[in-house]
Amino acid sequence: MLIVRQISKIYEGNIAYRALTDIDLTIDEGEFVGIMGPSGSGKTTLLNIIATIDEPTTGEILIDGNNPHTFKKEKLAKFRRRELGFVFQDFNLLHTLTVEENIVLPLTLDGKKVKEMKQKANEIAEKLGISSIMKKSTYEISGGQAQRVAVARAMIHGPKLLLADEPTGNLDSKSSKDVMEMLEAINKRERTTMMLVTHDAQAASYCNRVVFIRDGKFFSEIHRGENRQAFFQKIIDTLSLLGGDAHDLSSIRV
Amino acid sequence: MTFRQFAFNNVIRNKRLYAAYFLSSLFTVMVFFTFSIFANHPALSGKDMNSSVAQGMNISAGIIYVFSFFFILYSMSSFLQSRKREFGVLMIQGMSMKQIRLMVFLENMLIGFLATVGGIVLGVVFAKGILLLAENVLIIESALPFYFPTQAIFTTLASFIVLFFFISLFVTYVLRSKKLIVLIKGNKIAKGEPKANLFLTLLAVLLLGTGYATALLVKGVMVVAVMLPVIIVVTIGTYLLFTQLSVYIIRKLKKNESIFWFKTNMLLFSDLAFRMKDNARTFFMVAMVSTVAFCAIGSLFGFQTVLTSSIKNVNATTLSYKTNEQETENHDVDLINKTLKEEKIEADSEQMVMSYFDIGEDRILIANKSDFNRFASLIDEKLVEVKDGQVIVVEFEGTNFGKPSQLLDKSIKLKSGATLKPNKNGVISSKALPATGPYYIVSDHDYEQLPKPVEVQSYYAWQVKDGEDAIMTASEKLYDHIERYKITSVDYEIYDIMRFYGPILFVGLFIGIVFFVSAGSFLYFRLYMDLDEDKQKFSSIAKMGLTAKELRKVLTRQTAILFFAPIIVALIHGAVALTALSNLFAFNLFKESVMVLGVFSVIQIIYFFIVRLFYTKQIKTVI
Repeated sequence: MLIVRQISKIYEGNIAYRALTDIDLTIDEGEFVGIMGPSGSGKTTLLNIIATIDEPTTGEILIDGNNPHTFKKEKLAKFRRRELGFVFQDFNLLHTLTVEENIVLPLTLDGKKVKEMKQKANEIAEKLGISSIMKKSTYEISGGQAQRVAVARAMIHGPKLLLADEPTGNLDSKSSKDVMEMLEAINKRERTTMMLVTHDAQAASYCNRVVFIRDGKFFSEIHRGENRQAFFQKIIDTLSLLGGDAHDLSSIRV
Repeated sequence: MTFRQFAFNNVIRNKRLYAAYFLSSLFTVMVFFTFSIFANHPALSGKDMNSSVAQGMNISAGIIYVFSFFFILYSMSSFLQSRKREFGVLMIQGMSMKQIRLMVFLENMLIGFLATVGGIVLGVVFAKGILLLAENVLIIESALPFYFPTQAIFTTLASFIVLFFFISLFVTYVLRSKKLIVLIKGNKIAKGEPKANLFLTLLAVLLLGTGYATALLVKGVMVVAVMLPVIIVVTIGTYLLFTQLSVYIIRKLKKNESIFWFKTNMLLFSDLAFRMKDNARTFFMVAMVSTVAFCAIGSLFGFQTVLTSSIKNVNATTLSYKTNEQETENHDVDLINKTLKEEKIEADSEQMVMSYFDIGEDRILIANKSDFNRFASLIDEKLVEVKDGQVIVVEFEGTNFGKPSQLLDKSIKLKSGATLKPNKNGVISSKALPATGPYYIVSDHDYEQLPKPVEVQSYYAWQVKDGEDAIMTASEKLYDHIERYKITSVDYEIYDIMRFYGPILFVGLFIGIVFFVSAGSFLYFRLYMDLDEDKQKFSSIAKMGLTAKELRKVLTRQTAILFFAPIIVALIHGAVALTALSNLFAFNLFKESVMVLGVFSVIQIIYFFIVRLFYTKQIKTVI
């Protein structure tokens, strides 16, 4: 599904900075993969490159056999709109729109029929438990609700790949748990491939597999067995091995 | 860091944030200053200038000053609106409202001082250009030389320091105790849609309708009488139009999901609804300010046309001479011929005796067919054929002060006892003879049968065929020697009107342009206040996938609505006002109105494309 081949990223500037070095990563169809690492390890850079928001310096990305970085701008925009879904730490909802309008936005841009959009929006809202707030505006809802709206917006068009950047970074532990359980459920039910970048070991424990990077290089990866609690413990252990703070819950990301 | 240093550094280090406000203040100062350079110019304020012109200049300076006050106040308050968040953060840090007011006051005085000095310096640099422009628009015997405008500098400096001081005081009022949460949330909270009230919506339509109808239907001097009420009614109507009708329309559009949810419409309309309150106010101001600009320029331009064309209509020939003093007649005519020869002007000339008769209560000119035809051929008009016993009524072309129908009712008595009656088919219009009202033409045979005229005048006309360039010099010489009421040179008369009228035209033009440019900067402010928000919005949508084409489409529509909604209203207002003006003068100003309004529309379209280009560029930097 997703193949990352020998990706390196160097930020030019007065002092050139190497953010990523020769990263290789393969994610299978329907897999839920977490990326972890200390602050400044290059997690978000990797996600941005996969999301086609950023360009790699060398190496290539293949999503379903296509390298989106070779697409022309127009095609790239359509590709993102149809094949990818995004969830951000700061939700990125448009505050001029209501919840419902935010959810249908990707479909609207694609010029879908209103009836179809309504139906899809209602379906997904039902699943994510946000039906009651559909008519509210974005500043009337809580952070947990906002992130669920953002997930609904990312999922409404049935993307092949859902990319989440610290989705729990701005949420309390209860809301974090809700959002992660929801993502896990979507992953199981819809077989959507997901990639999650996080600091939060609790959040990462919902993944099938967690990949650790440090200083822009691959460090290790661990797989989840049957037990999520045991997986959480393994993640904490690896994090301490990484040298990062085991309770590195800072919401500041680079 | 003392508090004063903090306020100072806040301005100096945030140059870009303050740039828009600074530039608009600078522009305002510069406008006022260049105007006072012009108004205080020795060549214009000297004894040559008539006192009413000087008074006009002072009134205009007053208008510009008052307008400057509101313009700067508006820029300032919109600038402060965009800094709400900053104030919120400062207040969380424990800054008291008093300190914030002090800071804003200090900042404003600093910016005001820099803008005043900068505006004056720039004004001095451009002064020569302004004076050159004025020289070309005005007809002034001597050139307007550059002078060091001590008095203008002093006036401007004093006026604007005072103005900024008062605005600084006033602005602290704008920031009256707002809740901290409102400041922090800043733009995230909708400013609320003004409520669309059905009654007020209908009232808007009604007010505009009656205003327009009155303006269009009233004729003649009544136009002046109804002017003020119509202006008030239309102003209120316009305000309601933007605050009620627009709200109503956008609400309807938002409710219709098949339109609202169609592609990029959602982005466009949700934004319009969100900014409705701000937009409505901006639209109203821009519409009114542009209307003033259109009307000022349009009516001055129209008035000038009325004046010059009435001269051209009465005098179809280049030069004419009319007298009933036989003693000087030959001498004057010789002088004219001699002067024309000296200046190497080739002209065809004709001469006739114009005889007036008392018919009914009026004294009316009766000309014979061959006299009329000679003059008609002089100005290449169609010749007439008049049979014995026939009378032709000549209606005056252009202004219709006389009523030909009155002449149709009368009849001419001949010596033989026969009477000649005009009929409806025998009415023509012509400029051949210099009458101010309608007159009769009879056949040569009937003409001899007329009784003795009550009044006779000798009339000479010259139509220049070659050597037009020298007409002015020749006319000047002739006007020195021949009494004003006897001789008429069209070029010289127009020149004379322009000399008197030029300064008024210039001032009107100046004010019109100032208003129009400031309408443009209102729009610019409105747009750039939303820039940061738009950047954020479009960058998050772009991550989701928005093609460059779609982005351009949304931005184009957004800017187009902002730029053209108020201007279209202003154009309609302007068109109605100019129509009322032509009713006042009973003169068709259609061509002039179309020209003035057309030029403004073209400028606005160009301005739209420029702003759109830069705005799109700005937005694209974050994508």
